[in-house]
Amino acid sequence: MDAKQIWQVEEGETRSAGIIHVVITALLIGIGAVVGAFGSFSLPLGFGVNFFWPAIAVQNVGGIWFGAWGVIAASLFPIISNGITGTPIYVSLAYIPANLMQALLPMLAFRYFKADPRLNSKRDWIIFLASITLGNIFGALYSPLVVLKGFGLLTAESVPVFIWGWFGGNEVAGIIFGVILLKALSNVVITTNAFVKRWFA
Amino acid sequence: MNMNKTILGYVPEESPIYRIHPFVRVFFLLVVSLFPMIINAPEWNLAIILFSILLLKYSKVNLSTLKIYIPVSLSMGILILLSHTVLGGIHPEFYVAFRLFGFPFYYERIVAAIDVYTRILPMIFLTVLFLSTSRERDMLVAMRWAHVPFVVTYLITMALRSVGMVIEDFSIVRQAEKARGFDPQGKSIAYKMRQFVMYIIPLFALALRRSDEFANAIVARGYSFTGLHEVKRPDYILTQYRFRFRDGLLVVLISFSLVAVLIIRFGQGGLTLENSLTLRWLELWLKGGAA
Repeated sequence: MDAKQIWQVEEGETRSAGIIHVVITALLIGIGAVVGAFGSFSLPLGFGVNFFWPAIAVQNVGGIWFGAWGVIAASLFPIISNGITGTPIYVSLAYIPANLMQALLPMLAFRYFKADPRLNSKRDWIIFLASITLGNIFGALYSPLVVLKGFGLLTAESVPVFIWGWFGGNEVAGIIFGVILLKALSNVVITTNAFVKRWFA
Repeated sequence: MNMNKTILGYVPEESPIYRIHPFVRVFFLLVVSLFPMIINAPEWNLAIILFSILLLKYSKVNLSTLKIYIPVSLSMGILILLSHTVLGGIHPEFYVAFRLFGFPFYYERIVAAIDVYTRILPMIFLTVLFLSTSRERDMLVAMRWAHVPFVVTYLITMALRSVGMVIEDFSIVRQAEKARGFDPQGKSIAYKMRQFVMYIIPLFALALRRSDEFANAIVARGYSFTGLHEVKRPDYILTQYRFRFRDGLLVVLISFSLVAVLIIRFGQGGLTLENSLTLRWLELWLKGGAA
């Protein structure tokens, strides 16, 4: 199966959102919450920002494999993982746009450019790296500048530390774990019922 | 003693907190977490922390579970202080309270750091209180009672349940790897990262396998996105919880307390940092009473 065929809805093929997608979203939230809490306890910078956050890989691959369901999971699981590690609920809720974009951009990029989730070509790698980097840039700018500054938690002078902390912590972990997950599991995922070719199905 | 497993730990089954309807507890978290965002006076925010600790004691939560939050709270405090002082830049217009390793620690910045820290801490304590006393079932009851759509309640409660399952899977995978001679103790970060890869791939693979099993089980029981197909049945779990008069009273009381805080803060200019006892005390301590 080549990259185009992965995303192609065949003639006569009917795809609709089903219970399996709700289930996979819930399971992704579970994995993300555990992996996210683990990361937040190991190298915390504060207010749910970490120097190394492996859960970003769940956001990235969740969006690529499971479309909008992965994006929903990516938006919600940090509320649980941040809550477990002591981030106030309203700060976690305010992070939703950042977490959403970190999953949405790879999801859109892979579907729009018909990239292969197995990362078989140089083009797939470039699309993956560019999309997660753009998502992380958005998250790194939005969260400290809008959320943490908005809540009055940071001074203007300390904002760069948090911007670099968020970006670096997500980018490195996203590349390492995202690539490994895509390479190891994409072949299996694209043949399952839970795989999403369009937005919801 | 029978214990209930909550999201963060265990609470005795006969804990008085379970006499309160789950919806009231969710409502309390959402409303009272707003207070530190409105209140600037540190002593009032510290009072919320004290109130949360009293509620934890009342709920018979083992307070030793809070130990894991000590490093988080301390690192957050240090970070806030550093962010406001060392990283806060040079400001000749501010009053220098003292110097440490050549860095000027401005009085205004220290006050701002204390203000932020005493606002963030109560929110953490309230979240911990909620997670320590709430079970997955409580969340389900609260949402069903509030008539949240079936698919949303199902997604959220299943997500909470899957957190527990992933933790179990995580420990199984870890033990399996240990049995194969994988020992991360005293190893480098690169080694530990490799270890993490060995956890995350099996966790995903197990989730994929489970998704099919769960979906088939749910469909076999006649469920769809909107709930049960065609047949309208009474919601069993709601029959186990009664929303009593005192629960209604608590909802009214919590709502009124929010309105009162809003009126005092924005209508009468109270609960501000400027009028707080803490500021007066800090002024005496750091400025020696100098205006």
